Amino acid sequence: MSFMDRFVSGWRKHRQAATDDDFDYAWTMSIDLDRCTGCGACVTACQAENNIPLVGEKELAGGREMQWIRIERYWEGEYPNAKLSFIPMMCQHCDSAPCETVCPVSATYHNQDGLNTQIYNRCIGTRSCAVYCPYEVRFFNYYDHHWPAPLDQQLNPDVTVREKGVMEKCTFCIQRIRQAKDHAKDEGRRVADGEVQPACVQTCPSEALVFGDRKDPNSNVSKSINDPRAYHVLGELNTRPSVVYLKKVDADVV
Amino acid sequence: MANVDRREFLKLVGAGSVGVGAGYLLAESIKHPVEHLIPYSVPPEEFSPGIATWYNSVCGMCPAGCGISVRTREGRAKKIEGNPAHPVNQGRLCALGQAGLQTLYNPDRITAPMLLQGKRGNDAFVETTWKEGLANVSGRLGVPGVATVVLSQGVRGQLANLLELFTAELGSAELLHYDFAHPHTLYAANERLFGQQQLPYYDIANTRYLMSFGADFLNNWLSPVHHSLGFGHSRQGGDAQRLRFVQIEPKMSISGAAADEWVAARPGSEGVLALGIAHQILAGGRYSGSDADDWTAALADYSPELVAEQSGVAAATIVRLADEFAQAKPALAIGGGSAANNSNGTDTLVAVTALNYLVGNIGQAGGLIFNPDPVTGPSASSRRANYEVMRDLAEAAQQGVVDVLIVNNTNPLFTLPTAAGFKEALASIPLIVSLSSFMDETTAMADVILPSHTYLESWGDDVPQPGVGFSVAAVSQPVVAPLYNTRSTGDILLGLASNLGFRDAIPWTTMEECIKDGWREIHARGEPGSGDFDSFWHDVLQSGVWGEDVRQQQDATVSKEVIDNIGVAAPEFAGDVGDYPFVLHPFMSTSMYDGRGANLPWMQELPDPITSVVYGSWLEMNPATADKMGLQDGDLVQVASMQGSVEVPVVIFPAIMPDVVAMPIGQGHESLGRYARNRGANPIQILAPVTDPVSGALATGATRVSVVATGRRAPAVKTGGESRQLGRDIVRFTSTTSDATEHSAKLNSIPISVEPA
Repeated sequence: MSFMDRFVSGWRKHRQAATDDDFDYAWTMSIDLDRCTGCGACVTACQAENNIPLVGEKELAGGREMQWIRIERYWEGEYPNAKLSFIPMMCQHCDSAPCETVCPVSATYHNQDGLNTQIYNRCIGTRSCAVYCPYEVRFFNYYDHHWPAPLDQQLNPDVTVREKGVMEKCTFCIQRIRQAKDHAKDEGRRVADGEVQPACVQTCPSEALVFGDRKDPNSNVSKSINDPRAYHVLGELNTRPSVVYLKKVDADVV
Repeated sequence: MANVDRREFLKLVGAGSVGVGAGYLLAESIKHPVEHLIPYSVPPEEFSPGIATWYNSVCGMCPAGCGISVRTREGRAKKIEGNPAHPVNQGRLCALGQAGLQTLYNPDRITAPMLLQGKRGNDAFVETTWKEGLANVSGRLGVPGVATVVLSQGVRGQLANLLELFTAELGSAELLHYDFAHPHTLYAANERLFGQQQLPYYDIANTRYLMSFGADFLNNWLSPVHHSLGFGHSRQGGDAQRLRFVQIEPKMSISGAAADEWVAARPGSEGVLALGIAHQILAGGRYSGSDADDWTAALADYSPELVAEQSGVAAATIVRLADEFAQAKPALAIGGGSAANNSNGTDTLVAVTALNYLVGNIGQAGGLIFNPDPVTGPSASSRRANYEVMRDLAEAAQQGVVDVLIVNNTNPLFTLPTAAGFKEALASIPLIVSLSSFMDETTAMADVILPSHTYLESWGDDVPQPGVGFSVAAVSQPVVAPLYNTRSTGDILLGLASNLGFRDAIPWTTMEECIKDGWREIHARGEPGSGDFDSFWHDVLQSGVWGEDVRQQQDATVSKEVIDNIGVAAPEFAGDVGDYPFVLHPFMSTSMYDGRGANLPWMQELPDPITSVVYGSWLEMNPATADKMGLQDGDLVQVASMQGSVEVPVVIFPAIMPDVVAMPIGQGHESLGRYARNRGANPIQILAPVTDPVSGALATGATRVSVVATGRRAPAVKTGGESRQLGRDIVRFTSTTSDATEHSAKLNSIPISVEPA
C-alpha cells in the first residue's frame, strides 16, 4: 500500500460524516425564504444573547465584522424589474464540516447533538477554520473588545466573553440547549419540540426560522425540512448542513 | 405560538371573565422552566443567584406597543423577548425592540437632575437635587398667568391622562403630543371616509391579495412585528392560497423587497393610481353597492390611460392590477410611507382606503376591521401636534408668548426641518424643561433637566395603536431598579403637581398608584364576582396584558358628499425642476426609526438590510442616473434643497426611480451621546415646509434637491459582499405553478465521494 493509498483511506475514515443515529439530538434549523423579510431582528437578538462584541466603525470598514448571523442580500435584474432577496446566513452546523478537520488543536469539533462546537480556551487562533468555511460564518477576535460601563451589565452570564486571538461563531445558542436538556433530564424525558429556541428563532417576526430536533419526526422542523422547497446552500459541497433553507416562491420562475 | 387570531386569543384569556382569563395567561407566560414571575415589590436580596427572573412589560422603543418579557439575572436585565401572550407581537420582536437594553444601559444617560449654569447649548450643566430641580420648575410654573406648553412624545394610557390633568390644572397651558412618524394623514383619511377616530386593524394574516401603496409595513409602518406575523402566515402559514402582494412606491423599501411585484410610481401619484384602479373596478362592473352610480360619476376622470400618464405606470398594468385586486377574495389595500408623505397625502390615503370599501372587505376577515375605543387613557388622536401646529408653536414662541416649555422625551430639534424655526423658537422661550433620559438636541437647549427613567425602569400602561380588532391593554412595570438618580415621567409630573398644590385633581403620590387607579376601571368592566382588584392586578402584572371581547360596529357607509369629493390633486413640490432635478425621498431606516436608535451601538452596527451600510448616512441613486452624472458608489455628493444642504456618499441602488434619490433618516445628530454624534447627515433638516393641508402633516416627500459631486470619495462602510449571485445559487426560487416534486431536494442523500480516482 502506497503512502497515498494509506493517506486517503485513513482520511476517508475521518471524512465519514456522522449520521443522525450517532447523535442524541440532531438540532436543525429551517429558514423559509418566502417568509423572511430581511428585517434584521435575528441579528440584534443574537448580539444580545451571545455577548457579541461591538467592533466599531474602523474595524467594520476593515472587514472585521462580528455577527454570528447576518442578512445577505442578492439583487436579480435591473430597474424597473429589479428584485431583491434576503437570506439569513449563520454557521450551518455541517455534519461533514470542513472547519473541523482542519483545526490543528481540535478546538472545533462535532458534539453528541450534531452541533459544530467551538472550544474557546483550546483555540490558538490559526484561523484555518475560517479559511475552510465555505459559508464565511466564522469570526476572529483581532482585539480584546470592551463594553463601556454600564453596557457590560447586559452581558449574558450564561455565555463566555471571548478574548483576543479566539475564533467564534454561531452555537445554535448552546447555552439554551444545555439548559433545556438538563431540565428534561431532571424530569426523565427528552426535550420536547419547541422547548428550546435560539434567540434568532425566538424573535423572528415573520416566523421564517424554525428550530428543533430532526430525529423527532413530528417536530415542526422535521415537517419543514420535508417541504418540497427545502434545499441546502452550497449543497454541492457535501458539507451536510443542519440549516435547511426553503426556496423563495417567485411566480415568474418557469 | 402560531398566529393567534382574535378567537384563539379570547380562548386564552377567557371571554368576559377577566380574573380567570388573566390567570390562564399567567400559566401561558411561565412555561419557561426556570422562570419565576414575581412582582418587583419583592426586594432584590430575594433573588436566587443563577436563576433568571422574567418580567412582562411593554416595549417603549416605538409606538406599536408590543408586549415584552424581560429576562433578568441578579437584578440586571439580560435579554428582551416578545411576550407570547400579547396579541400584537405574540412573542416576537423587531431589532429595535431587542436593542432596548442599550437604552437602559447606555453609557450616555443623564444620571441626575441638572441646572444650566451659563449660556444655553454650551453643555454647561451642573448637577442638582430633585428637590431643588422640581422647586426650580414649580416656582416658575406657579406664577399666575405663565404661558406653558407641555410637549410630550406620543403617550397613551394613564400617563396621557395625567398629562391632561396636569395641563388643565396649570391653567394657561397647552398639551401637545409630538411624534415625527405619527400617521396624521392616515387618521384624517379614516376619519373622513368612515368617521372613525381610531386607526383600523389591517388583517394581513388572512388576506390573499395585498396592495400596498408605499406602506413599509414590514419595517416600521404602524405595527411592523404584527404585520410581519400576518405576512408570514398569509405567505406560508397554512393550506390556503399563498398571499400575492404588490408594492407601489418610488423606491424599493424592505417591504417592497418582499413583494411579488414591485411597481415604481411617481412620488405623489399613488392616490391617482388608486383611483384609476377604483375606476377600473367600477367599469368592470365588479362593484354592486347601491352607491355604485355615485362612485362611477366621481371616478369618471380617472381612466387607466389618464392615470398612466400621471403615474408613469402602464395602463395595461393598472387594468391588470385592478382585475387581480377585484377578483382575489379577500383583498386588502393599505397606504402609508411615500404615499402618505406628499401634499396630497390625506386624499391619497382616502383613495387607497376606498379600494377596501369597493371590494367589500370592511369588517371581514382578511380586510379592514375597525378598532374599538381605547379602554384607558384619552382617544388616540387627541392633541396630536402635526407640523402646522409645531410651526405655529415655533412662531408663537418667537413672538415671546410662550414662557415655559416642558419637553417629555421628544426631540423636535432633530425631527423638524430647519425651516420650522424651532431652534430660534427655543431661544425665545425663557424656561425650557426637559424630561429626557438622554442629552438629545432639544435637551441640550434646556435650562432644567429632570431626567426620566427609561421604559424598563418605569411604571406605565398602554393601549396598542392601532389595535388588533378587539380591546387590549397592557401594563409596563420596572424590570430593574433605577440605575441612576432619575424618576419616571409620571412621578416627575406628580412631584411638580405636589409642589403646585394640585392635590384635589391629582391625588396620587406615585405613578404606580395612578396606574392602578386606571386599571380599577378596567377591572370593573369584568363580570361581577370575578375576583377582587388585587388578585386581578397581580394576574395582569404577571401576564403583562389584558384583553376583552369588545368589537367595534363594522357597518361602513361612505356619505355621498365624500364620494362626490373624492379626488387627488397633483402633488406640490418645493423647488424648480431645472435647479433641483431630483425628488428627495427620506425614509425611516430599520434601526434608527426617527433617529432615536442612533445612540444604540447595536443599531449602529446593524447593517441596513438592503445596502448593508453601517454607522452612517448615504444617498440612494438609480444606476443609470449615476452613470449619466459620472458618479460611482462611494463618491461624496452635496444634496441641496432650497432650505440647505448635506454631504453624503452615493450608494448605487437598483430599485429607485431615475429622478428620485433616497436618504435614510436617523443619523446626523449633533448630540445624543458618543454613538450618535457627528455621524452622517439628517435629511429632515433640508426638507421644505410643504404640508398636506387637510391633515397639517409635513409632506416629507415634497422636496426637490440637486445632487452635485464634491470630487471627494468617502465610501459608506458596508458589511455585505457581492450583491449578485453570480451563478452561486445561494438564494433559490421556485414557482407556485410548477410541479412541486420537481424541486424536491432529498437532503443529505448525496453520498460522500472521496474515493481515489
